[in-house]
Amino acid sequence: PSSPRSFPPTVTSEQIEHLHRRFKQLSRDQLTIRKENFDSIPDLEFNPIRGKIVHAFFDKRNLRQESDGLADEINFEDFLTIMSYFRPIEMNMDEEQLDRFRKEKLKFLFHMYDSDHDGKITLQEYRNVVEELLSGNPHLEKESARSIADGAMMEAASICVGQMGPDQVYEGITFEDFLKMWQGIDIETKMHVRFLNMETIAHCY
Amino acid sequence: MFLLLPFNSLVVNLLGISITVLFTLLLVFIIVPAIFGVSFGIRKVYMKTLLKIFQWATLRIERGAKEKNHPLYKPYVNGIIAKEPTSLEEEIKEIRRSGSGKALDTPEFELSDIFYFCRKGIETIMDDEVTKRFSAEELESWNLLSRTNYNFQYISLRLTVLWGLGVLIRYCFLLPLRIALAFTGISLLVTGTTVVGYLPNGRCKEFLSKHVHLMCYRICVRALTAIITYHDRENRPRNGGICVANHTSPIDVIILASDGYYAMVGQIHGGLMGVIQRAMVKACPHVWFERSEVKDRHLVAKRLTEHVQDKSKLPILIFPEGTCINNTSVMMFKKGSFEIGATVYPVAIKYDPQFGDAFWNSSKYGMVTYLLRMMTSWAIVCSVWYMPPMTRQPEEDAVQFANRVKSAIARQGGLVDLLWDGGLKREKVKDTFKEEQQKLYSKMIVGNHEDRSRS
Repeated sequence: PSSPRSFPPTVTSEQIEHLHRRFKQLSRDQLTIRKENFDSIPDLEFNPIRGKIVHAFFDKRNLRQESDGLADEINFEDFLTIMSYFRPIEMNMDEEQLDRFRKEKLKFLFHMYDSDHDGKITLQEYRNVVEELLSGNPHLEKESARSIADGAMMEAASICVGQMGPDQVYEGITFEDFLKMWQGIDIETKMHVRFLNMETIAHCY
Repeated sequence: MFLLLPFNSLVVNLLGISITVLFTLLLVFIIVPAIFGVSFGIRKVYMKTLLKIFQWATLRIERGAKEKNHPLYKPYVNGIIAKEPTSLEEEIKEIRRSGSGKALDTPEFELSDIFYFCRKGIETIMDDEVTKRFSAEELESWNLLSRTNYNFQYISLRLTVLWGLGVLIRYCFLLPLRIALAFTGISLLVTGTTVVGYLPNGRCKEFLSKHVHLMCYRICVRALTAIITYHDRENRPRNGGICVANHTSPIDVIILASDGYYAMVGQIHGGLMGVIQRAMVKACPHVWFERSEVKDRHLVAKRLTEHVQDKSKLPILIFPEGTCINNTSVMMFKKGSFEIGATVYPVAIKYDPQFGDAFWNSSKYGMVTYLLRMMTSWAIVCSVWYMPPMTRQPEEDAVQFANRVKSAIARQGGLVDLLWDGGLKREKVKDTFKEEQQKLYSKMIVGNHEDRSRS
């Protein structure tokens, strides 16, 4: 496979090989993956936000494409692009790189919330996410889930905008506000998937 | 031209005679010992020679890689990512602590809660326990079969010649020989059991039936060049019991049945399989079901119970996983066979993948393709462990008993014990599993909320 445009050189060719085999397994030896192919991962069924995660793979904003909306299918390069959001931090990153690294990862999470692609997380979208996360509990009524979401949204509003007047309507969380809320949380050290140490047979230089 | 003709026919004649003699000798050397259950030990010598050749081949590849300064691609069996061992609660607590500092007992939702599920989701997409089990196990040394080689570019000329020789031997010599043996074995089985079926019931019929079955299975074992090591043969299944084993391929049946006399259980098939099944049941009471009866669990259980309660009847051979698994792990055992209440004799079968991969990936290969692959491998090498009998204890139910037997088999065979249902290969996860994770999270968030709203 051709190397993706924005892939850092620190991912080894071995890891890419492994991901490629995984890709072929998911795609059943086809060149592209569709949403249905993710149905073959049983462990993913456990996950309450499964829909949003799969959706994120096809979201054109995550695929760094100019246009907007959803792709129908993705190839291996796109697959790697999504995986790159979860690459671990590197030792020799400077401040600017770290900041960009962090923003990228948070943007990925932001896109998961903002399902209508308008750049804001509205109350309805927020409710949506909370309901999905809490949907497994049969005792929980929709009203309770809704009130939890509303409470959280108000909290978010107070962090972002401060005190609002009685006539002010909070339109939604923009990306800048979103960044504010994640302050202090070291997302860049937590939002990654580490590869196990691959054993290679020693070779002489 | 005139001179060539008699010369030609002479050569052809000589060739024909030598081939016939060769084949007859080989058949005699192989079939006669099979009838009497003896072995000359030729296969073991063959196996040792092959191992030496494989080691040499692997060294050559490693040397080739070193010369070119490339790291060698070594397939990694245990998964490619390091999964974090922390639980849901720990992770969310940690994130909240570093963020807004809110404790977990307040029933509120935090923006950062989504993070845990997101990462878990990506982890399973990258690497999944279950789907790994269903593709063939990957080897660390090359066994001169191109189907298992991932490092094609490091093969030298000598190695290619050796591989070519291997192909020639396997396809032109071993394959026809094996097909001839298989043909002989199957036809002897069908005719033998049909003939024995005409005898009146009694000791004579039983004796003959047993030996006809054993003989034909032994011939089939040699048809696959299966080199089997049996351990603990004193624990072999007895009448009135159920023999339970892990399932890797249809060959498992041949391997077990060539060392013991069992009653088979299964669905009647059409075609050649059906002919064999119908012939076999004339000589001894196997338990075959029609396709429609298989779905009826009560009927199946009833017939099996009847069979088992009759002490004169043979031990039943059952593979409770229900489907073929790739011999690195044991999946969930279906509880049906464990509900019957008979003594269970567990058997662990472990194949050595170096000589030929016995796993049948039924979604990838049909039966005929699979058998051809088996017959063009070097050999099938496996170990069979007969384990001491187990019975269901009063305080455990069928599922717990099944799991206990499964763990014992996994431990003995050096296989990983998994909770997963082998049926997952084809079906989707049952919905009850899906709810567990969601319930856990919502319980965490909402636990207090419920109490509050009630008061």
